Amino acid sequence: MSDPVGHQGPAASGPAPAAGMPENVEYRVAHLQDRLAAEELGELGVRAEVRAGAIALTGTVPSAQCRETVLRLAREELAGLTVHADLVVAQTARPDHAEEL
Amino acid sequence: MIRVAAVGDIHMGPDSEGLLRPAFETLPDCADLLLLAGDLTRHGTPQEARVVAREVRGLPVPVVAVLGNHDHHDEQPEKVTEILREAGATVLEGEGTVVECAGGRVGVAGTKGFGGGFVGRSAGEFGEPVMKEFVRTTRRSADSLHAALKKLDEEDCTARVALTHFSPVADTLAGEPPEIHPFLGSYLLAEAIDTAGADLAVHGHAHLGTEHGMTAGGVRVRNVAQPVIRRAFNVYRLGTA
Repeated sequence: MSDPVGHQGPAASGPAPAAGMPENVEYRVAHLQDRLAAEELGELGVRAEVRAGAIALTGTVPSAQCRETVLRLAREELAGLTVHADLVVAQTARPDHAEEL
Repeated sequence: MIRVAAVGDIHMGPDSEGLLRPAFETLPDCADLLLLAGDLTRHGTPQEARVVAREVRGLPVPVVAVLGNHDHHDEQPEKVTEILREAGATVLEGEGTVVECAGGRVGVAGTKGFGGGFVGRSAGEFGEPVMKEFVRTTRRSADSLHAALKKLDEEDCTARVALTHFSPVADTLAGEPPEIHPFLGSYLLAEAIDTAGADLAVHGHAHLGTEHGMTAGGVRVRNVAQPVIRRAFNVYRLGTA
């Protein structure tokens, strides 16, 4: 996902900025990370960083369904912001060689 | 030669049922035992633990596990342990076990471990009670790892492996923000490994870290978090090089 996401999602969590104050994107990113950990995912392995005004989501998640859930939560929490996601689903193939120690 | 397969941080939930089983069923071809380095579940619920149990039940190689911080989140690590044991896995916390393999006896000492950081940048047992308890938790874990490794030293093991979830060294955290290193491991674990002796140390927890590291005493350390190794498991052959 790398498009600005619309405002149609549920309201973001956390206190709203006071009237006349600029919105603080860093706190919104922190709230996203809180939700990733606290809700159905228990996800601590996704990194969310502000880069050049956009949010970069990176990391490895356990399943394709987890990836979709991360993206949904990001759409909800970061509505209106540009999100670049590079989320990898953990690979489950057996190794093709061993390390000799 | 002893062939050790290992993976951590598989973070299983209902939607990952059966994902690792096909690879695990090939284990007898390449490994003598499978080590699970904690964070086997997402929240440590019995439901998630049962998914892990089905993944390892009846495997033709012995399975030895430690729990991770995720496996404690639901505050019933005893239940998670019971479910994994019922499926045939040996779950270690501050103790050791000996696995008989074709290549010899391998002793595995296991503990979850905890944080605190690394020399020069570590938390101290000082100040508020909660801070002291944080460091004492790590110290107790490291002490139990030391005692378990020492005990295995008297049990005629061909090789000894230290199995933790948290990292004993900063080497294998390369790629993680340095600011969070104190939450990823502790030098106390490495000190325990170096003073008691081991042939290999295996851990997980640091998804953004790297696989290879070494303690100050020269014990090879491998971060086997699944996001790091990008496979169902890795295999280390001890006694070949």
